[in-house]
Amino acid sequence: MDTQVIYNIFHQDAFGFNIAMYIYLTGVSAGSFILSTLAYGFGLSQYKPLGKVGVVVATIVLIIAPLFLLFHVGTPYRAWHLFIYLNMASPITWGSFLLILYPINCIIYGYFMFKENMKLTRIFGLIGIPLAVSVHGYTGFILAFGKARALWNTALMPILFLVSAVISGIALMILVFIIKERFFSKERKIDRELVFGLGKLLAWMIVFDLFLVACDLIVLSISHSDAQAAAHLLLQGKFSFLFLVVENLLGKIVPFFLLIVPRLRTLATTIVASILVVIGIFFMRYVVVLAGEFIPLL
Amino acid sequence: MSNKKKRYAMLVDLRKCIGCNACVVACKSENDVPLGVWRSWVKKVEKGQYPDSKEFFLPVVCNNCDKPICVTVCPVNAGIKRPDGIVYIDPHRCIGCRYCMASCPYGVRYINPRKKIAEKCYWCHHRVDAGLKPACVLVCPTGAMIFGDLNDPRSDIAKAVATNAVQVIKPDMGTDPQTFYIGLEQAAVEAKKIKEE
Repeated sequence: MDTQVIYNIFHQDAFGFNIAMYIYLTGVSAGSFILSTLAYGFGLSQYKPLGKVGVVVATIVLIIAPLFLLFHVGTPYRAWHLFIYLNMASPITWGSFLLILYPINCIIYGYFMFKENMKLTRIFGLIGIPLAVSVHGYTGFILAFGKARALWNTALMPILFLVSAVISGIALMILVFIIKERFFSKERKIDRELVFGLGKLLAWMIVFDLFLVACDLIVLSISHSDAQAAAHLLLQGKFSFLFLVVENLLGKIVPFFLLIVPRLRTLATTIVASILVVIGIFFMRYVVVLAGEFIPLL
Repeated sequence: MSNKKKRYAMLVDLRKCIGCNACVVACKSENDVPLGVWRSWVKKVEKGQYPDSKEFFLPVVCNNCDKPICVTVCPVNAGIKRPDGIVYIDPHRCIGCRYCMASCPYGVRYINPRKKIAEKCYWCHHRVDAGLKPACVLVCPTGAMIFGDLNDPRSDIAKAVATNAVQVIKPDMGTDPQTFYIGLEQAAVEAKKIKEE
């Protein structure tokens, strides 16, 4: 039956670019932090050169990230309400405490690492892992609680966010590590084995991420009508170019082959692949947030 | 008189609605709603091919849900459900984080462009507390809107809800909406207009 909307109002966007950027930055921070704890928390000594770079990147990025929240909220001077009027059912309340505890822990962990106090570094590294996972995982719950938006309201959202956070963290870590070794170290020589090892780790995390995205899409395209509309929006609608080409082809599939095929594996291709991943994951956040609220609810 | 606590509810008889927008105008004027945002509006959907077609009206106000997701997710407890069922926002507490807008399945919330905080329809609780009807109910020329206490069996709304087949918008959201409709056309709910470039 032909139905046509004669009149309806346009709704304001709830979230937008600022929230996508915030989620992206917390993801990068959590990913970098987890990499830095591989050597100092878990004793995998081949990753030791990443420890200091990782914690510095994690701390700086996590101090920038909440600024985007302050741009987003209507009345930033009331931000202190978040710590006075608590609602434990709301993921944002969880987040307001995580956003305080996690950077403090990062700074303490980094301080002991630079002081070469291995025992305390290890303790604060291990405390930091659940904090890093929560500080990014809770953003997945924020979106998943938007229960009318089919693209957001899935239990996969926190884990999908965490896996892509680790990917973007590894990719940024490769870039920062190469820049640091090339321009700021005494030897001016890059540890190729470590870079390629990280590249392999990145490649297999990309496979896991693609698997999760595929799971999400397959269920969306079979589920109720709103979910089908969301899947259609990603595959054929307004966000199809960003989703299929930028996020998944350029951001995941191309880097995977650049990193995994032995004949292609050089320092240059690893750098290109890492840049592609860093951009691709940003567009993953952008597509999830913006496409999720693109279809009006009423 | 029943001693039970109050549970306010609204009923819109869509068979009587003529799509005149008087409720929208009254709401704008009563609540000082800024340009470009609405606390209530009338969605209009045409079904079928002219001349064998009909325009369906869907006046939308906040459902003041019994299980309001907006109250669940508000990080500063600015969304408050009163004992009589009305859900309102404390304007002094809201920080304008827009999370309630993101989670509301009905899209009834907006950010006030001047105050930068979330606002929505709360069934004119300032009028209701003074013993008056909400503005939209008062002005409806065909009497399509009924407001009252659902727990009082002798109220107009309790009788009307009890003796008619009533529907709510999106019952599957698990929010238990308290704005009821008689003669709700599903196409009027589901037809979407996507924002142009």
